[in-house]
Amino acid sequence: MADIEIEIDGNVVKAKAGEMLIAVTDREGISVPRFCYHKKLSIAANCRMCLVDVEGAPKPQPACSTPINEGMKVHTQNEKAKASQKAVMEFLLINHPLDCPICDQGGECELQDVAMSYGSDVSRFTEGKRVVTDSDIGALIHTDMTRCIHCTRCVRFGSEIGGIMEMGGTGRGEDLKIEPFLKEGITSELSGNMIDVCPVGALTSKPFRYELRTWQMHSVANIARHDLVGSNIFTQTYKGKVKRIVARDNDGVNETWISDRDRFSYEGLAHENRLLKPQIKVDGQWKAVEWDKALEFAVRGLVNNALNADGGNKLGALASNTATLEEFHLLQKMLREVGSENMDYRLNVKDLDNVIDLESTIKLAVLEEVEYSLIIGSNLRLEQPMINHRLRKAVLAGASIDVINAMSFDFNYRTNSENIVAPDRTVVILAEVLKSILERSGAEIPEYLSTIKVDDVAKCIADKLLASNNSVIILGEHAINNPQAASIAKLIREIAQQTGAATLNVSATSNSIAAEMANFVPGQGGLNANAMLAADLSAYILLEVYPQYDFHDFVQAIESLDNKNTFVISMNSFKDKEVARYSDVMLPIASFYETSGSHINIEGVMQSFAAAVSAPSESKPAWKVLKVLADLLELPGFHYASSEQITSEISNQSHQYKVDDKAINITTKRGVSVIWQKSPYAIDVLSRHATALQVTKIGQMHSASMNKATAKKEEVKEGGQYLGVPVIITEKVADNCVFVNANQSTGGRA
Amino acid sequence: MISNIKKLIKDFSLSELRSGMKITAKELVNKKITVQFPEERTPISPRFRGLHALRRYPNGEERCIACKLCEAVCPANAITIESEMREDGSRRTTQYDIDLFKCIFCGFCEEACPVDAIVETQIFDYAFLDSREGSIMTKERLLGVGDNNEKAISEARAEDAKYR
Repeated sequence: MADIEIEIDGNVVKAKAGEMLIAVTDREGISVPRFCYHKKLSIAANCRMCLVDVEGAPKPQPACSTPINEGMKVHTQNEKAKASQKAVMEFLLINHPLDCPICDQGGECELQDVAMSYGSDVSRFTEGKRVVTDSDIGALIHTDMTRCIHCTRCVRFGSEIGGIMEMGGTGRGEDLKIEPFLKEGITSELSGNMIDVCPVGALTSKPFRYELRTWQMHSVANIARHDLVGSNIFTQTYKGKVKRIVARDNDGVNETWISDRDRFSYEGLAHENRLLKPQIKVDGQWKAVEWDKALEFAVRGLVNNALNADGGNKLGALASNTATLEEFHLLQKMLREVGSENMDYRLNVKDLDNVIDLESTIKLAVLEEVEYSLIIGSNLRLEQPMINHRLRKAVLAGASIDVINAMSFDFNYRTNSENIVAPDRTVVILAEVLKSILERSGAEIPEYLSTIKVDDVAKCIADKLLASNNSVIILGEHAINNPQAASIAKLIREIAQQTGAATLNVSATSNSIAAEMANFVPGQGGLNANAMLAADLSAYILLEVYPQYDFHDFVQAIESLDNKNTFVISMNSFKDKEVARYSDVMLPIASFYETSGSHINIEGVMQSFAAAVSAPSESKPAWKVLKVLADLLELPGFHYASSEQITSEISNQSHQYKVDDKAINITTKRGVSVIWQKSPYAIDVLSRHATALQVTKIGQMHSASMNKATAKKEEVKEGGQYLGVPVIITEKVADNCVFVNANQSTGGRA
Repeated sequence: MISNIKKLIKDFSLSELRSGMKITAKELVNKKITVQFPEERTPISPRFRGLHALRRYPNGEERCIACKLCEAVCPANAITIESEMREDGSRRTTQYDIDLFKCIFCGFCEEACPVDAIVETQIFDYAFLDSREGSIMTKERLLGVGDNNEKAISEARAEDAKYR
């Protein structure tokens, strides 16, 4: 990479031709002050802070936009450079209010730092300063635009990374204002990053406003486990509480960005709804007791109800997909030790004999290099913001995207074609694509494709898949409850094999991959989630399960759990009415950032994290609770002193995707079909309790969308209710299809 | 030999006793400088660093904006502050405690304060006899000290202003 040599401050430095000067000085550790330059954003060169002296140039040059040349001689510290930097600093401070004592950015402010090193100690400016009125831009970001120095990082972030240009500059000169164009404010799912890129206190975190000064907090490296990426973050804590979350750089995972869900969900940790004390149900009444009593009660209940009479057969375990790898492992180990194979984490799947089995075969960093992508059944931008961001980069570099969805979603990039079809058509289109590919390669057409007629859309998709060397097929959440889910996955696998395309399975989010890795799925003779609930088991261990949000059919699930003869141990971090109804013991467990553990992301990369704070009051990390339960049951092999020991026990296992040998089925049934998806900020218990997230536009998504014809058929009107969710009539939805975004699950009706 | 003789003469003539008595006699008639504390008080420098106070603006609004610079600069970690956004959107403290057992009266808090809210007054004759809690100056007590002594505080500041 070292093509040419240049001289900086008298030292010869090797660099690549065409690199910007500031990139070289940054790499060499030479400090050049800057405000508008950001390594992940385009170059604006409007703050002029990075002026340096280049020999031969008549005037000082901005380092951020000066490409280097062979033999260039640069002085970053000589009189000319220093004088120009000092002059620029003075100009920048003219209209800055210098209200650092009440500014939340104080202590981590780039302007403050640079002013300390390059500013003058006395201001010569005696005229009045300019004042800018603030606009309310939403629940997440607070604005103090008088502090703005017009570096336009937030504007560039919006248009280049966020994909929605919501902020912009209006007016010129003295009247230049950075403000959102629309009354709605900032609605992007990545908006919180604007807080990080803002070099001054113009954009600060609203939930964090005036709480603490930055120097009071401890930063603990951590992993956000709301999605399949496992973004790297810093949890910043004060007196044992998580007070703020900021992004941590990791180019392989989340680069410099994190989603709003990762950034603001921490608010839920301090919610009054936390379960803080172990409780047991005696004669139908809840009683708070000590841990040892509660555990004893739980073990006695397990032994009397299930283990003594039936061995492990009548015991089942259900866990939320937000649990850590270690928790999945301990729970499955415990169940298997007592002889039960009944365990599952797939609570939201209607038909567990018809599930998606598809591996992801592409790295996140490679995703931004694909030439073609086919997205099936996903509102990727809101479901997996960081994966969507990578794909957006690919599109900006020229990739073409085709979409097969039941509703037209707002992708923040140009799509080549959007095929809005009812869910039952998905499998047909894929079959057509496969047939078209096979026809072209002259391969034998299997029996199940014989009746399929290939139309132009499928032909076009097949063309692109065949033509592209680097393509990916992305399968999303909406396919989970598709009646042909298994066939869709198999067709995708087949298409990928035929064309060399990679696959990306984003259908099960959070830490689902860890559950698979830990083998937290029913084994030989075991019952899956739905079978368990139908089978009248006599005891359950539930880990972080909130029925009305997690179960596909929560009415039936609650009914079968709320049974006199069923002993239910619930381990939860938050209180829940329904949980209290059917449980016999409630054990308070640690939530996100309060427990150590591991997350496995879509690449299969395991990222372990430590607890940033200890769990509040009497709640305990779930792995410790499970370990003690196993000890009390006198099971062997549970002598763990730390969660790392558990991790190392699992890490040499690998998960094999086993595809059942059922034939691909392309028959479809007509009629109105419903796709039910949880709102992006309601996918786990922590984000559901984050108040600021819930009042954002994305957090308020709660509607059943359908077109006019479907509404007529279903006899509902705009503003009415469909399955208990307000109706919106829009032609964006495929015919014969209702798309529901709700913060609860279906109650089995979809 | 000679020095021994000189010493003998000096000793027997009681010259040292006489010079001592001379001072005693002089002081007997001179004006007394003993201060009858607490009835009488010595003058105190306007820079004296005594008991702390939190000041208000003339309109009654408290000056402190919860910037926590005093807390950060305090070498004895004697200051504890919690802040919040008050209903009118301004930044205010909910708790402002100074532990007088920890405080070393260095005056750094006063120096760090950007709004002249925390000051050290000329009050030094305070005592907390009741309990350990008595040593902790809460926000209410600090504001009380400020309210009761605002005149003295502002006079002392005005006097010292020209040297700052």
